[in-house]
Amino acid sequence: MKGMRNISYLSRRLYSAQAAPKFEAAAAAERVRLPAQDPQITKLPNGLVIASLENYSPCSKIGVFVRAGSRYENVGDLGVTHLLRLAANLTTKGASAFRITRGVEAVGGGLSVTSTKENMVYSVECMRDYVDTVMEYLINVTTAPEFRHWEVADLTSRIKVDKALALQNPQLGVLENLHTAAYKSALCNTLYCPDYRVGKITSEQLHAFVQNNFTSARMALVGLGVDHAVLKQVGEHFLNIRSGQGAAGAKAVYRGGEVREQNADSLVHAAVVAEGAAAGSAEANAFAVLQHVLGAGPYIKRGTNMMSKLSQGVAKATTQPFDTTAFNASYSDAGLFGFYTISQAGVAGDVIQAAMAQIKAVAQGGVTAADVTRAKNQLKARYLMSMESTNGLLDEIGTQTLASGTCIQPESAAQTIDSVSANDVVNAAKKFVAGKKSMATRGNLGNTPFVDEL
Amino acid sequence: MLSLAARSGAFSPYLQATSYVVAGQLKPIVPGVVVNTEKLLKDVKKPFLCRDSLSGQSPKTGPAVSASINGAASVRFAHSDIRVPDFSDYRRPEVQNANKSSQDSSDSRKGFSYLLTGATVVVSAYAAKTVVSQFISTMSASADVLALSQIEIKLSDIPEGKNVTFKWRGKPLFVRHRTPKEIEVEAAVNMAELRDPQHDLDRVKKPKWMIVLGVCTHLGCVPIANAGDYGGYYCPCHGSHYDASGRIRKGPAPANLEVPFYEFPDEDTVIVG
Repeated sequence: MKGMRNISYLSRRLYSAQAAPKFEAAAAAERVRLPAQDPQITKLPNGLVIASLENYSPCSKIGVFVRAGSRYENVGDLGVTHLLRLAANLTTKGASAFRITRGVEAVGGGLSVTSTKENMVYSVECMRDYVDTVMEYLINVTTAPEFRHWEVADLTSRIKVDKALALQNPQLGVLENLHTAAYKSALCNTLYCPDYRVGKITSEQLHAFVQNNFTSARMALVGLGVDHAVLKQVGEHFLNIRSGQGAAGAKAVYRGGEVREQNADSLVHAAVVAEGAAAGSAEANAFAVLQHVLGAGPYIKRGTNMMSKLSQGVAKATTQPFDTTAFNASYSDAGLFGFYTISQAGVAGDVIQAAMAQIKAVAQGGVTAADVTRAKNQLKARYLMSMESTNGLLDEIGTQTLASGTCIQPESAAQTIDSVSANDVVNAAKKFVAGKKSMATRGNLGNTPFVDEL
Repeated sequence: MLSLAARSGAFSPYLQATSYVVAGQLKPIVPGVVVNTEKLLKDVKKPFLCRDSLSGQSPKTGPAVSASINGAASVRFAHSDIRVPDFSDYRRPEVQNANKSSQDSSDSRKGFSYLLTGATVVVSAYAAKTVVSQFISTMSASADVLALSQIEIKLSDIPEGKNVTFKWRGKPLFVRHRTPKEIEVEAAVNMAELRDPQHDLDRVKKPKWMIVLGVCTHLGCVPIANAGDYGGYYCPCHGSHYDASGRIRKGPAPANLEVPFYEFPDEDTVIVG
């Protein structure tokens, strides 16, 4: 009998685990629904803008957005922003370099600096419970850096390696050259330190740049998954040590030039642009829609953009591999619009001329309503999908609050896009065709036309 | 206010340039390059061979660069730049060929190694034993003490019939040059009448020379030579008579005089002890 009992016991035990209890529908109804929240924005009297959004994420992200991009460098201190970018983890008044690195590692967070021509973004991310720790380091790095001269001197080798790594991508070199060709001031400064300045940037220059540009009126403190009251307190107590507008940056003046970099690459990278529209204006929306009308890169991973207008136009000119997109960059007081092509050295001229011809066709009214609708949908989709990641969301909220002090809702952004008409798109294309062109090319340039030959 | 539409989208990875990762050390390290003196060796880029691999390579807007600690690295460390050195200088001839199995020669290689190891172990065991025993033997008696334990006597100085006393190991040593008549008498003594029966030839190596310790076996006095009733020694303390062979004949002593160890290296000398 005992054996019989054991056998039945065995048959029960042959199942690896207890079956999960049936899911009760009633229990589902009691599930708490977390309401989606809007960003909360406070503007302090000294000009600092504080924004926070509760996204119920277990990870928090905090960013300090400063209007201190490479356009604010003077001729005497070119390359300062590059060094500043690499100096984020150096010793500060409240924490040594060792402590910052070790502290950030210990809570599993990350500290990063992103810089564009307009802004510098210092961002930290960590688990929600450890926000205080990384906030302390963030405040130290943005407001109280010491830039000890021996630590700054150690960064020279890092600058060299950074440049070498970055310029492995021809695209980056071409874009830097493009801006240098297009502008006389401000926006022509490169994101990377010029070669002649490597090793010559001193700690005093770093301090001076920070003093002049990291002021409260030019900063925005943005947090995702952080309490607004906490951020406000941090902003009031710590981030207003330098008040005022700081040094005014130079205005970006367009000149329209050309930079050609001849080397032995078999692929020619070429960027041709004309003046576009500053960010925030109605024209900027038209240029954005025009960019998507012409074709702005693949929309799915490992997809192609062979169906875009530009690609189809260029495909008629050559059968060899190529890639082309419309290029659109909007800065606070200027903008660039044009196209970018990558083609084989032998047919580069044909490719560039074909792309120009496509845009001219659009300027002459060769755009249908279906094209415009498709472009608007693609633009809306790209905009909204970019905000699905916390990185993109932080960037978007930060850039908006820094630029204007408010943050628009995605719905109103979609409406703004919808308000662009086909006429606006055609006018934008006409502005490109009529405007003075700037060009930057790189590769084996035997067959590449000059900007005045376009 | 389409600031984002003007920034780099999700599919243009080339616009986010280098990012440093703190990988276990406490200063950000440089990924992906080997700095060989002043030359930077860069990693090999994937060549763009076809239209599909070129797709998406064109940037759509202005650049943004980031540097981070503990951020997501854009370089995966494969340590593929580390070259394993060539160890062929240190290899045995049987395993120089990388394409041949090493199992064929494993027996001979192991045998050689084990043999060498075993021999070394044995030799070093002996060496260790020697060293240890040498160190321990330093605790034994030193040479001057050992030297005192032996006495070398020149026999030609002792006339016949005479008994000479030496100090040896703190005790008196009798060396007697016996006459042939004495030898004969002692050899003929009957064992039955001896208290401690011992034949004379058992007590001497050369009958001419009798060497005994001059300590009376009764209570330790020194007997007088050429005295007593038996032509040998007489102990004055309690009246023990010994004969010319040192055997007890009359008196309270229980045993014969002790015969020490001695040897004759040549005719003329004896070493006692």
